[in-house]
Amino acid sequence: MAATGHSITYRELGAGGAGLPATEPGRPLPPALLYRACDPAELPFELVGELEDPPGPIGQDRAVEAVEFAVAMRRKGYNVYALGAGGTGKHTVIRDLLNRRAESVPTPPDWCYVNNFADPQKPRRLQLPPGRGNGLREAMKRLVEELRAALPAAFERDDYRARRDVIDQQFKEQNEQAFGELQRRGEQKGISMLRTPMGLALAPRRDGKVLTPEMFEALPEAERERIQRDLEEVQGELETVMQKVPQWEREHREAVRELNRNTTGAAIGLMMDELRAGSCELPDVVQHLDAVEQDIKDNADDFLTPAQPPQGMPIPSPVEESMTEARFRRYQVNVIVDNGDQHGAPVIYEDNPTHQTLVGRVEYMARFGTLATDFNLLTPGALHRANGGYLMLDAQRLLAGNFGWASLKRSLNADEIRIETLDQLLSLASTVSLQPEPIPLDVKIVLLGPPMLYYLLSSADDDFKELFKIAADFDDRVERTPETTLLYARFIAGVVRREKLLPFDRSAVARTIEEAARFVGDADRLSAGLREIVDLLQEADQLAAGAGKATVTAAEVQKAIDAKFRRGDRIYRRLQEEIGRKTIRIETDGEQIGQVNGLSVMTLGGLSFGNPSRITARIRLGRGEVVDIEREVELGGPLHSKGVLILSGFLGGRFGSTRPLSLNASLVFEQSYGGVDGDSASAAELFALLSALADVPINQSFAVTGSVDQHGRIQAIGGVNEKIEGFFDACRITGFTGRQGVIIPASNVKHLMLRQDVVTAAAEERFRIFPIETVDQGLALLTSLPAGEPDQDGNYPAGTINHRIAARLDAFAAKAAELARNAAITQAHS
Amino acid sequence: MTQGIERVVVPLDAATETSTAIDTAARLAALWRVPLHGVFIEDEELIGLAGLPFARQVTLGTGLEPLTKDHVEDQLHAFAERARRELGAVANRHDVKWSFEVARGPLAPDTLGGEHDFVVAGAATRPIGDHFRVSSRCWSWIAIIARPFLLARREWETGGSVVTLLRRGGPQSARTLDVAAQIAGFYSGTLTVAGTPDLAGSDDFAAWVSGLLEGHSVSLQTEFAAAEPAALRQRIIELDCRLLVLEASEKDAQPEELRELVEHLACDVLIIR
Repeated sequence: MAATGHSITYRELGAGGAGLPATEPGRPLPPALLYRACDPAELPFELVGELEDPPGPIGQDRAVEAVEFAVAMRRKGYNVYALGAGGTGKHTVIRDLLNRRAESVPTPPDWCYVNNFADPQKPRRLQLPPGRGNGLREAMKRLVEELRAALPAAFERDDYRARRDVIDQQFKEQNEQAFGELQRRGEQKGISMLRTPMGLALAPRRDGKVLTPEMFEALPEAERERIQRDLEEVQGELETVMQKVPQWEREHREAVRELNRNTTGAAIGLMMDELRAGSCELPDVVQHLDAVEQDIKDNADDFLTPAQPPQGMPIPSPVEESMTEARFRRYQVNVIVDNGDQHGAPVIYEDNPTHQTLVGRVEYMARFGTLATDFNLLTPGALHRANGGYLMLDAQRLLAGNFGWASLKRSLNADEIRIETLDQLLSLASTVSLQPEPIPLDVKIVLLGPPMLYYLLSSADDDFKELFKIAADFDDRVERTPETTLLYARFIAGVVRREKLLPFDRSAVARTIEEAARFVGDADRLSAGLREIVDLLQEADQLAAGAGKATVTAAEVQKAIDAKFRRGDRIYRRLQEEIGRKTIRIETDGEQIGQVNGLSVMTLGGLSFGNPSRITARIRLGRGEVVDIEREVELGGPLHSKGVLILSGFLGGRFGSTRPLSLNASLVFEQSYGGVDGDSASAAELFALLSALADVPINQSFAVTGSVDQHGRIQAIGGVNEKIEGFFDACRITGFTGRQGVIIPASNVKHLMLRQDVVTAAAEERFRIFPIETVDQGLALLTSLPAGEPDQDGNYPAGTINHRIAARLDAFAAKAAELARNAAITQAHS
Repeated sequence: MTQGIERVVVPLDAATETSTAIDTAARLAALWRVPLHGVFIEDEELIGLAGLPFARQVTLGTGLEPLTKDHVEDQLHAFAERARRELGAVANRHDVKWSFEVARGPLAPDTLGGEHDFVVAGAATRPIGDHFRVSSRCWSWIAIIARPFLLARREWETGGSVVTLLRRGGPQSARTLDVAAQIAGFYSGTLTVAGTPDLAGSDDFAAWVSGLLEGHSVSLQTEFAAAEPAALRQRIIELDCRLLVLEASEKDAQPEELRELVEHLACDVLIIR
């Protein structure tokens, strides 16, 4: 498949294709209609680097307008689904657009999580101006460090000790006075106080000794009664005093606590005032600082004593230090979103959109065999990072699983970001976990995905319709005009610069533009699948560099195209070889009744190629049924079956109104063992059937592609270039005769961007392309007989194909009637 | 002196705070390489009181409740077991052999061992409501036990010096000095020897003291002891006294007099007889 250089005739560029030869059905197409070239001479540069980058995406005005509208729209629900085939540059276009827009949007605030001292399970959020979050975090860190020195010093000072001693002494005296007084009164009555294991007991004494039971019994009764009475009286007083002890202890503790609070307050007051002054315009921050101050006052001991390990548990010093540090974690500030270095709104792309990567997560740390968490272990998700700006997500990945879609919808509906575990989301949680205060959400979402997914979501997901009101539809092709051709060249210039490729001359650019038309199989369109174009440019650059060239020309671009095809054409070549070896029987010469060369397209690994198939038809007496053998064995898809039913409808419509169709016909793709779908072979199948009906052979030098309707009109099909080239290559293998060619729908002429060798062969009249618009035109080409026009009675002239078909059908009908009569007679006799 | 010490004995009971005494005793036993022996003394007065029909005890937790012999026995047994475990744990920590017994009845001179035993006792009862303490019985034990008796009030790690008050200058003083020097060596090594004016005023007092302390690694200073108790207490405080060693005979230094001298001091007190 060597390129043949510049021997083709170029069509003139111009609006509406002015100067192009006319298409005449049934007549071979002139070479100018087989390939629409891009004339390098008309490109206004020598090297493409002379051109500036294009001002925007090529041919995506509809989509760009949609995105710009959505971005400007501040109301809820105007998020965007950017739909389009892959490689159309959706991501780049939207990212660039958003970045430009984001520059003029105010930078969003910082967000932090801090401890909720009233309920640590529910961390509080704080909003600060951009860049101030880290400042608050560092200020709190410094505060704790300073307090760890200042508070112990405050409690070591003489004035604190003195006050503490006063409190302790007061309570001591209170105790001792009460008990001492009681003890004295008891002593006066001969009763002394003994310390028992559990408390105090009062014992009557005589001569310095506690009375034993024997001694007591030996006393006079009056004395015994007096002793008992006195003892019970003092006991009652002792009980009263003992009942007061817990109250005194509580008062002592409270007095010490109050002293500690006041001491702490004095020590930290100035530092806290400074912190509050730095955030006086942020009431939430001030409120938090008030809570911090109160907590420090209530828990001054944390700053005075090291952490105690669990009872009896020896711990190494690093662990002890860790435990001590853990007590101050509640004063830290967790900066979830830091926009200090952000200028304008953020534009974020999350390439793994799961529940956790979107809304953040609660992390845990292992501590003494258990998992623990606090607000410091909250981590942000993409929604946090994009808050106040824009978030781009891949739609397919979002819906792939991991609850990303559900979480996104929930957040958008609620206008807030709630960090929660999957357990909480699914209501499976049975353990206590964090419930951080949600953060208000203000973000514009752009989903990027295939069209099919958009349509599916639109029809099946009510939330989607409410939340994604804007569709940015990216086309896969643009109209080929002088203006778009120049924009394309500018696009190529931008790629060359960006990817640091060798300079491309205008012939290389022209060839690339032609290939862009070939990508979409349309001479009047250019592909918007820019990824393929970038790949082509890079590969051409590599080939040029490998050959030591300083500039990339059309030759290198062609080589890149050929090399890519070759990399994927093993199966194609094998099929062609087997055609040449007649393992696959394709006849490219001679005539056959009821047989025609059909054409299909196979796509393997991104490479498409045409594959000729032999389609045969057989007929017999029957009841008017056309059997699609492919369908019968479940190798035919629904579109193929539809095509067969349509041609059946044509047959019935043309011939069945004046006679019964007493035939059965069967159609098959010979030697086809894979699935067949689509109706692009329905015209070929009809020709085979009509040939069998008319008993007129079909010229095997032709291959046919086209879809037929019930009125016998030939309709456009896809992959016309690949199909023609597939038959061309088969003819080359079997041997050109000079009589071969392909019959195509006339409506496909505008799609022709054939290979150079095919165009050259057409120019040399070695291979021809024939457009047709009707079945009759095709019949005439294939049989070399006129198809025939019906007269007012519906009869066709003798010698025409249609006449022969009608005669055959009449014969079938007569035979069928005869058989029916004979059968009836036989039945009657039996 | 220390050559004559065969055991360190700790009297224990349910009323006294004994942790400091146990720790001090175990450390001394370890340093002297002698065994440790604990004697849990069941308070016979309490047991006797429990026999009275109207006996009650008042507790912080449950208020007034009956005090029966069974109750007292059970509680004393529990405390004895707790004391035994504590003694064993501390002894093991200091790698000292130890033994334990329970005694009941009035304290006899040999209840706390023999003449070669060194007694370490707690000086205060367990407080009620963190403050009020009934009088400790240790002072009555001092009157009965005629051998070295250490009232332990301070943690062993507490800093400070050893101060010795000498009266007589004879073998009794030498013995006192020897013990004081031994223990001063265990502590910081600072020893102050204060003698009564007629003792310290003799020409060779300092030399005599130095001669007695030859072989001991202590930092020594000698001075006169103030005659007036308040002044003496003040001087003891100024010396940052951690242990006050007193020589006494059976005929003088009755418990009440000793108590009057030392009860306003926070240091440990060792009485050598």
